[in-house]
Amino acid sequence: MKSINLKENQFIQFHQKISFKFDGVKYFGYKGDTIASALLRNNINLVGRSFKYHRPRGIYTCGIEEPNALVQIISEYSEPNTRATIKKIYEGMEIESQNRWPSLENDFGSINNLFSPIFTAGFYYKTFMGPHKKFWKNLYEPLIRRAAGLGKPPKDFKGISNHIHHNVDVTIIGGGLNGLLVAKSFINTNYDVLLIDFDDQLGGIINNSNKISLIDNKEPKDWLKETIQEIEDSKNIKILKNTLVTTYNYINHLIAIEDRFVGSKQIEGKVNSTLHKIRTGHTILCNGHIERFLSFQNNDLPGIMLSSSFEKYMCRYGLAPSKEPVIFSNNSNSNSLVFSLIKAGLKPKAYIDSRSGEEIEPNLFDLIRINDVPLYTNSQIKGAFGNKKIEKILVEDSSGALNEIKCDCLCLSGGINPDVHLFTQSKGLLDWDEKDLTYKPSKPFQPTITLGSASGQFNFDNLNSDINKKLKTFKVKQLDVKLELNTNTKYNIEKLWEVSPQKKSLWAKSFIDLQNDVTTKDIRQAITEGFDRIEHLKRYTTNSMGTDQGKISSINALGIVSDLLDKKVNEVGTTIYRPPYAPLSFSAIAGRNCYEFYDPERKSPIHSWHLKNGAIFEDVGQWKRPWYFQINKEESMHDAVQRESKNVRENAGILDGSTLGKIEIKGEDALEFMNLIYTNSFTKMKQGSARYALMLGEDGMVKDDGIICKISDQHFIATTTTGGAATVLGCMEEYAQTEWPNLKVFMNSITEQYATFNISGPNTREIMKKAFPNINFSNEEFPFMTFQFHEFNGVPIRILRASFTGELGYEIYIPSNSAPKIWDNIQSLGKEFGLAPYGTEAMHLLRAEKGYIIVGQDTDGSITPIDLGLSWMIGKSKKDFLGKRSLTRSDTIREDRKQLVGIIPSNKADKLEEGQHIILDKEIKSPVPMLGHITSCYHSSTLGHDFALAVIKNGHSMIGTKAYASTSSMSTTGVDIVKPVFYDEDNKRLVS
Amino acid sequence: MLIINCPYCGPRDQSEFSNGGEAHVKRPDGSKEIGDREWGEYVFIRANPKGLFYERWVHTHGCRKWFNCVRDTSTDEILVTYKLDEKKPNLNNFKSVVKTPSGEPEVGSGNFTVEK
Ligand SMILES: [Zn+2]
Repeated sequence: MKSINLKENQFIQFHQKISFKFDGVKYFGYKGDTIASALLRNNINLVGRSFKYHRPRGIYTCGIEEPNALVQIISEYSEPNTRATIKKIYEGMEIESQNRWPSLENDFGSINNLFSPIFTAGFYYKTFMGPHKKFWKNLYEPLIRRAAGLGKPPKDFKGISNHIHHNVDVTIIGGGLNGLLVAKSFINTNYDVLLIDFDDQLGGIINNSNKISLIDNKEPKDWLKETIQEIEDSKNIKILKNTLVTTYNYINHLIAIEDRFVGSKQIEGKVNSTLHKIRTGHTILCNGHIERFLSFQNNDLPGIMLSSSFEKYMCRYGLAPSKEPVIFSNNSNSNSLVFSLIKAGLKPKAYIDSRSGEEIEPNLFDLIRINDVPLYTNSQIKGAFGNKKIEKILVEDSSGALNEIKCDCLCLSGGINPDVHLFTQSKGLLDWDEKDLTYKPSKPFQPTITLGSASGQFNFDNLNSDINKKLKTFKVKQLDVKLELNTNTKYNIEKLWEVSPQKKSLWAKSFIDLQNDVTTKDIRQAITEGFDRIEHLKRYTTNSMGTDQGKISSINALGIVSDLLDKKVNEVGTTIYRPPYAPLSFSAIAGRNCYEFYDPERKSPIHSWHLKNGAIFEDVGQWKRPWYFQINKEESMHDAVQRESKNVRENAGILDGSTLGKIEIKGEDALEFMNLIYTNSFTKMKQGSARYALMLGEDGMVKDDGIICKISDQHFIATTTTGGAATVLGCMEEYAQTEWPNLKVFMNSITEQYATFNISGPNTREIMKKAFPNINFSNEEFPFMTFQFHEFNGVPIRILRASFTGELGYEIYIPSNSAPKIWDNIQSLGKEFGLAPYGTEAMHLLRAEKGYIIVGQDTDGSITPIDLGLSWMIGKSKKDFLGKRSLTRSDTIREDRKQLVGIIPSNKADKLEEGQHIILDKEIKSPVPMLGHITSCYHSSTLGHDFALAVIKNGHSMIGTKAYASTSSMSTTGVDIVKPVFYDEDNKRLVS
Repeated sequence: MLIINCPYCGPRDQSEFSNGGEAHVKRPDGSKEIGDREWGEYVFIRANPKGLFYERWVHTHGCRKWFNCVRDTSTDEILVTYKLDEKKPNLNNFKSVVKTPSGEPEVGSGNFTVEK
């Protein structure tokens, strides 16, 4: 294809040269060129290989509908699948073609083209489901993974995007003729208006074609300049250019993406795109139409292009991709291309129209006659031929004779469709127009207005009246614009979806979806196999499932299917166009919520001490908690955990428990409320005492646990698990508001206001005495499960005597800001008593030795307090509490429920693992009845062997018996089922 | 994304709220005898109609208040929000304003773009 530069225009100036590289070779284009226009200028039309068959593909369109010309931008983090017809070039840009190896000209994968019979419709389903499953895994999948696909994923992608919210009265989508006229009528009104266009220039059809000759007796170019100036000057209208509306949600919520680096290289660290989130009162769709292609043999050859795209290259980029293209059309939309070519001093090599001579517009007829263009009416193109580019076509004329025409470019027009994607996203309904052969918007579902060709008005006759009528709800001026056209014709089209090839087998070379390599043979095969519902057919053939959603071809597919099924197109229906309108990058959606802002990190007030003292952290929800402390880099986790836990048993340990949820409950009816929320009864509990409590769901299952401190009947402080804090507070608030609004009670989270230190071990009392010399820590003055308020160096503190390790222990609650100092003090005072910090893993080990459960580890939402052996915690005399009635449901009192037990290996040297199944038989013979599984498992230095907690069916009555734990190597380990407590069963150490 | 009119704060973005399922489900009085069936229905059974639905929401990232609303489940439109102690509105009041994409069957996905 040999292109020529036409005259300069306001968009392209020939002195502004830009150099860029395509597949390593340097070329020149002009400022304002897209990759596609620049490549065409350099006579390059082979730009990629197709998805499945690796067929050579060229530039098919001049806009966002492009199915073929997808390229990788090496100079921008190797961004793949960029539409060459949209992305503008800049100095030094590096572009690569996609889906080819080793090179675009000699592509190894094109061998797939020879095997095309095996890649037909339903290939994936058949190989997945059929008797060839093994082939899939061993042969097809590895082969296809290498051969199929589009671009390569980007490397080191560092795109930054920000989000902007808009709240406006009116959003106009599309700044073409209609969009500008609508914006014009809103000038200086009280409406907040947003005018959005995807292009970097407003004007649409005025810039992209020669259809219009005069507007209000002015040159369109001049009218455009004036109008844009007026709109820009109006304070109530904001214009967003380079912005594509991708999504139209409920309640007139639009998502649009703005490219901030059009025509220049993205700068690392700068925002390269903005995601606009728009709430609008009304949406006015003026987003125009999209031209369709036609199917025939080899309709995918490079050199074939849509006719309106060819005209756009001429008008917008001052470039004729070919000096003498052949035009093939079934409608009047391509008339203006003939006009444009002749105006530019060129002429079509031939004009082929499927319509009869009488159907063809007289002014087109005259234009063709005067300029001596070979005319074929009642004719069709049977096929296009050539090696990696179009070289000739075969035309069947009205007499049925075949004519060969040599050509380097073929322009196609199969009719036009209103761009209904956004309209259908908004849930508006479409109507089939049998005259114009397309789906047009009918009933809007939201406050949506469609205008111009987006509404299916393909003529300009009713331009003023239509706008005036549809804008009646607004207080705006009436429009009266005079329009004169160059090719004064009414839209006329004859039905033609595809041209049958010379041989039946050649349907396989007649494409219906260029991006996904779907052929008209695939459609026929799918229907033969029974997939005749359009939504099924789409998925079976993958037609219009590419990133372009079949913008130039999906209606053709409906037409072909309706003919094959002998139904009307509206009986066939249409598939749904889904958001986004065009691919939207994840980085744009993520905006600033990425890297360190992806999920907030919560840190305890002691965090910096942990960092300095060798803490290895684990994530608990959003919290960073010390998992264990390494005394040197060589210490393994196992060694550290054994050392820490042993030290707690022998000396004393300190744990940063600040992440535990803390909720303060106050109010006249606080006692009654607490009795309703937790299983325990707090009525007889003394002031200043504490109690381990369980919270259930209404289904009777354990939801959370914690320690409740009773300050008075009107004032409680509850602790929750680290992960459960928000849920527990939410649950309390819910019930206080919805079920018991009569109770006077308030609750608030005080988690972050207080740090918590858990000190435990036999030496704890000595350390506490030293740290807080004026407090009496004797057993009599400060018994187990009581708490006291004190002031320490002017800081109000609360000390609770409780333990999660089974040793003598205290929990100290300190206002967060004062906590680090006291922590440091305890560290240095505790040294002589062997005090050392321990992490969550040692804490888990220590509590498991005592049989204390962790909600969410030993329970999974299907475990009741009875299953845990915690019936003593249920306030049976209480009339009501959350989940009470569920504890007597037939399912909860079943005897064979999974119940908490302890497990130890019968041979003490054997190892156990979390998640192992407990079974009855030594031999694994399927089916294996599974009793349950190990929920927690550790090695204990104190016991000298592994031990575990498990939930197993009917577990309580199995205590004292033997069972087996299955291993991943299909063998078993003999285990003893024991009581779930392995250390200090009488709690002597707790209360000492 | 929906806009939800919190009865306490006014219209806010959906991301500030959490859904709490069907509204006006009465919790059986615990001080009285409750049958297995009655309790089971309270715990496990909720309506899931296509169309108008009384629903609970909570303004989680706002005032943290619970409130009720009438939502059209086929369009997601929230027709009215009201405080917990307010009387539930009669659904007949909304019948005239309910607008589903027409031609939609009573039950189904609503995946229709062409009038049937
Ligand atoms: Zn609120």
